[in-house]
Amino acid sequence: MIVFHTLTWSDAWYLAPELALVGFALALAVLDLMLPDRVNRDWIGWGTLLGLAVAALFVSWHICDLRRSELAGEPAVRDLLYGSYLIDDFGNLLKLAFLGATALIVLASLGTIRKDEIPIKGEFYYLVLPAVTGAMMMASSGDLITLFVGLELLGVSSYALVGARKRSGLAGEAAFKYVVTGGTASAFILYGMSFLYGVTGSTGLAGISRGLEQAVADYRALVYVAFFLMIVGFALKLALAPFHAWAPDVYEGAPTPVTSFLAVVAKGAAFAMLYRIFVRTVFLADAEAAALREDVSLALAALAAAAIAVGTAGALRQRNAKRLLALSGVANAGILLVPLALDTTILHASFFPEFLYYLLAYAFMNVGAFAVLTVVSRASGKEELSAFAGLYHRAPWTAGAMTVLLCSLAGLPVTGGFFGKLFILFGTVQTKAYWLGAFMLAATAVSYYVYFKIIRQMYMRAGAEEPAVRVPVPAGIVIWLCAAATLALGVLPRPVLDWIDGLFSIGADMLTG
Amino acid sequence: MRTVFSQYAWLAPLFPLAAFVVLTELNRSLKRTGAFIAIVASLASLALSLLIAFERIGTGAEDYSGGFAWLTIGSVTLSAGFEVTNLTALMLVIVSLVAFLVNLYSLGYMRDDERKSVFYAYLSLFACSMLGLVLADNLLLLYIGWELVGVCSFLLIGFWFHKPEARAAAKKAFIVTRVGDLGLLIAILLLFRYMPGHALDFVSLHNVFDSQAGVISTSITTAIALLLFLGAVGKSGQFPLHVWLPDAMEGPTPVSALIHAATMVAAGVFLVARTYDIFEASAVALDTVAYIGAFTALLAATAALKQNDIKRVLAYSTVSQLGYMMLALGSGSWTAAVFHLFTHAFFKALLFLGAGNVIHALHTQDLRQMGGLGRRMKTTAWTFGAGVLALSGVPPLAGFWSKDAVLAAAFERHPLLFAAGIVTACFTALYMARLFILAFWGRPRGDAALAARAKEAPAVMTAPLLVLAALSVAAGFVQTPFGSWLGAWLSGEAIPEQAESVPVMAASAAAGLLGLYLGWLLYGKGAPKGGGAGQTRPWPWLVRLIEREYYLNEAYGYLFVKPLQGLGRALRLFDGAVVGGAGRLAAGAVQALGRLNSRLLSGQLQTYGLAAVIAAVVLMLAIAGRRF
Repeated sequence: MIVFHTLTWSDAWYLAPELALVGFALALAVLDLMLPDRVNRDWIGWGTLLGLAVAALFVSWHICDLRRSELAGEPAVRDLLYGSYLIDDFGNLLKLAFLGATALIVLASLGTIRKDEIPIKGEFYYLVLPAVTGAMMMASSGDLITLFVGLELLGVSSYALVGARKRSGLAGEAAFKYVVTGGTASAFILYGMSFLYGVTGSTGLAGISRGLEQAVADYRALVYVAFFLMIVGFALKLALAPFHAWAPDVYEGAPTPVTSFLAVVAKGAAFAMLYRIFVRTVFLADAEAAALREDVSLALAALAAAAIAVGTAGALRQRNAKRLLALSGVANAGILLVPLALDTTILHASFFPEFLYYLLAYAFMNVGAFAVLTVVSRASGKEELSAFAGLYHRAPWTAGAMTVLLCSLAGLPVTGGFFGKLFILFGTVQTKAYWLGAFMLAATAVSYYVYFKIIRQMYMRAGAEEPAVRVPVPAGIVIWLCAAATLALGVLPRPVLDWIDGLFSIGADMLTG
Repeated sequence: MRTVFSQYAWLAPLFPLAAFVVLTELNRSLKRTGAFIAIVASLASLALSLLIAFERIGTGAEDYSGGFAWLTIGSVTLSAGFEVTNLTALMLVIVSLVAFLVNLYSLGYMRDDERKSVFYAYLSLFACSMLGLVLADNLLLLYIGWELVGVCSFLLIGFWFHKPEARAAAKKAFIVTRVGDLGLLIAILLLFRYMPGHALDFVSLHNVFDSQAGVISTSITTAIALLLFLGAVGKSGQFPLHVWLPDAMEGPTPVSALIHAATMVAAGVFLVARTYDIFEASAVALDTVAYIGAFTALLAATAALKQNDIKRVLAYSTVSQLGYMMLALGSGSWTAAVFHLFTHAFFKALLFLGAGNVIHALHTQDLRQMGGLGRRMKTTAWTFGAGVLALSGVPPLAGFWSKDAVLAAAFERHPLLFAAGIVTACFTALYMARLFILAFWGRPRGDAALAARAKEAPAVMTAPLLVLAALSVAAGFVQTPFGSWLGAWLSGEAIPEQAESVPVMAASAAAGLLGLYLGWLLYGKGAPKGGGAGQTRPWPWLVRLIEREYYLNEAYGYLFVKPLQGLGRALRLFDGAVVGGAGRLAAGAVQALGRLNSRLLSGQLQTYGLAAVIAAVVLMLAIAGRRF
């Protein structure tokens, strides 16, 4: 007998962040329709920022709320609708990261977006809101169906965003490619999910977890098919090699702020969903299913290694800055996958702090680097590496910030990127996955060459004949915030780690219900 | 004994850091005052370093360390802090003293450069990183400083980026030293894995490897030591990673003096000395260090003979002297290595700055275009001469005592190492004599107008030379075989008088003098002189000597130069075929992967889909397929 739980008004409080975003999206859409053409659409952008801030406020409130119940000895998780929607620290921390990154991206694009390039400036801003809502659902769901709805909400909104430069052929091509690839990925994931439902009889992650051992005993092949189809789907979404071919094309065609959104928020959300499903189900597997767990780990490790190698080697040959950053994103996705791919039979409970720390560092350095790229390519009208020529003389402050960001991307101390990689490396050493660590090290060494191409352009090329670079104030703020945060993560990693550690505990946050 | 100033050692790197921040922020508005800010900051570091060092003189100064818990990963806590020992105090003085003098010197050398304040900003950042490296109390912090000095070196080598050679040299230096850095990082990871409690600080390293033998197995210890040494090989320009250092001479000359002679390149020696307990625990590692060091010393000394660029001669000489330090480390005497590091910093900085004066006056680095400068640039010539004698190991100058300490250590280790050291000493004197004679004696061979206008550099450029010359003459007396004060101070153990090493001393002095004499015969006396054909020869024995000079020249050629050149050629082949080959193979593999990737990124969505499906099938068959 199935008991149907309905949403009550009191549950709405738990959904407040998502509801706020939806509310703001609707209000801004109506406002955009009603406002006359002559009103600057930057106001919609500021409204979007306000919406993000309100949602972040609600999320912080939830964090404090959970903290209080934790201190009182109660379970620090709220679940809605039979565990299909979970309010826990895992979700909340990631939601804050997504909201913060999106806010920085929107802020950087204020004043850098030109009406002649993006005629739908109003939509451009408020479409971000449903996209983030989707990402938050992916971080917060405990049920395959809600997870998939979040994935599609994020996907559909970002398809539209990629094509925002309506008059550009490149943008149209990018949007088309993104729709087709995104659809393919969703199909793989959904197909895998349907097998999983078929063999375990549940769409809830808790139910799947309970039924998995029996399912492996009864239908081993089908369980394998389910998981490997999902892995392939996620590999496509995350642009892991060799499923990454779409990424450079799409990143190049999309407006730069959208590229930044895809690289940081969309990728982070896909990771959130991957972590949710895999940690909750297959990584708990024992006895019968232990072999399955090992195989899934190995497949993820192989994908991580391939992504690191191909991303780094591919970036060596790129002359277009956006394509270069796209391939660097492929390599970084591989690195972000490493904590999940490590053998969990040896106690390796710090995988989530490792992942989140590097995700934060990755978010800051990418949002910052893309903001610099926006500013620089606006000044010189090109997105090639040569757009950076002599930047040190044309805009010394921006060049300084970019140097910090690039050092972080290359994993040089004293930056967030260095510590992020170091923690993950420590993880590989602790679990004796030396080959994966060696892969990361070798790729890191090669990647110096990639990022120093840009540094050489900035400092060691004369750019006197190039036009001066004008940095709009909001973009300047974002660039410096990101550079400062990158440095702060490198100089004082402890507060952030302590904060994550204090909030997150694997038993309470990922395995209840 | 408690120490007061050591507690404030952490301030030493912060002065130049402050200068760096101010200089970058006010880049445009500071045309003249920028340099003074950097000089004042380096003077502050120097004053503090001297206070710390003088306070520690005497016996029983406690090591002081301070810091805070920096980050916690799981159950592991890493601390960030500084540690003042007698070794680090000595390094502080060396680094801040040379940095201060070079800052001062650059005031004259870089006077007309429009990016002067950028130059000073980079120099300050370098001083900060180097002092941080020296003070670090654990390997992770040291590694951070290690990388930062690498970045500064990269920026400064490529400072005159309008020259393509400078850009190429900067790139080469960065990439080649990264190979070594990778070794160091892997060594740190291995230590993290095997050390009890994942400790990385030097005190724990000392405790574990010195007194708790067996905690870490010998094979792992050897691996760690060799990987650490790989880091040192990259940074200190040892064979086979020495190739970047001569090219790095494309940077401004003050930079060569500071970074590529006195301080950064010595960081490798410092690293080995700092982690010496690990090396002592592995005989294989010590042997490797000794033989690589001896071989590098000899190889670079022969290479220096053939260079015509004044800075490249000095660069090869630096490689050779760093080889000496490694030889001492491998021979079991880290105090001798640090002693040689100490004296070498002074006379090599002196030689580079002197060479800078010559280049400044003549606008050429080619020895064949020089000559006769001694009369026009008296201070430079005299101080340079002092540097030449010190480097050649002429008693009782500083270089003699430190080289003697190295040779004495090598003598106890193995006759072969000692022989290599003695031959190198002779060659060292020979190429330095050649350099000095070609530059300062005889008649001008280059542009006559420029040579006629050549005049002594301004006082701001000669004053540092005088200070360094005084140190090059006198600094050696801190450790002689008759009283090894420095060694005792550094190691905290009383070292007995080594009067029995008098033969070694005699051999070392003889080798140096022989080299100088040969140099004089070959390039001073016997060099073809214009218009000298009808000269009368007052003393017949001198005529014979001159004739014998040619005989010697050929004998020397057949006995030493030809075989060594042959060896050099063979090594170059080895370098090209094996080292280069391995490098090319790795680079080729990466490039091939990149090309494959470009092939895939054709822009055709159908191709992408096909690739994804193939990859999915391969993944499933390869991993899941094993189970069925």
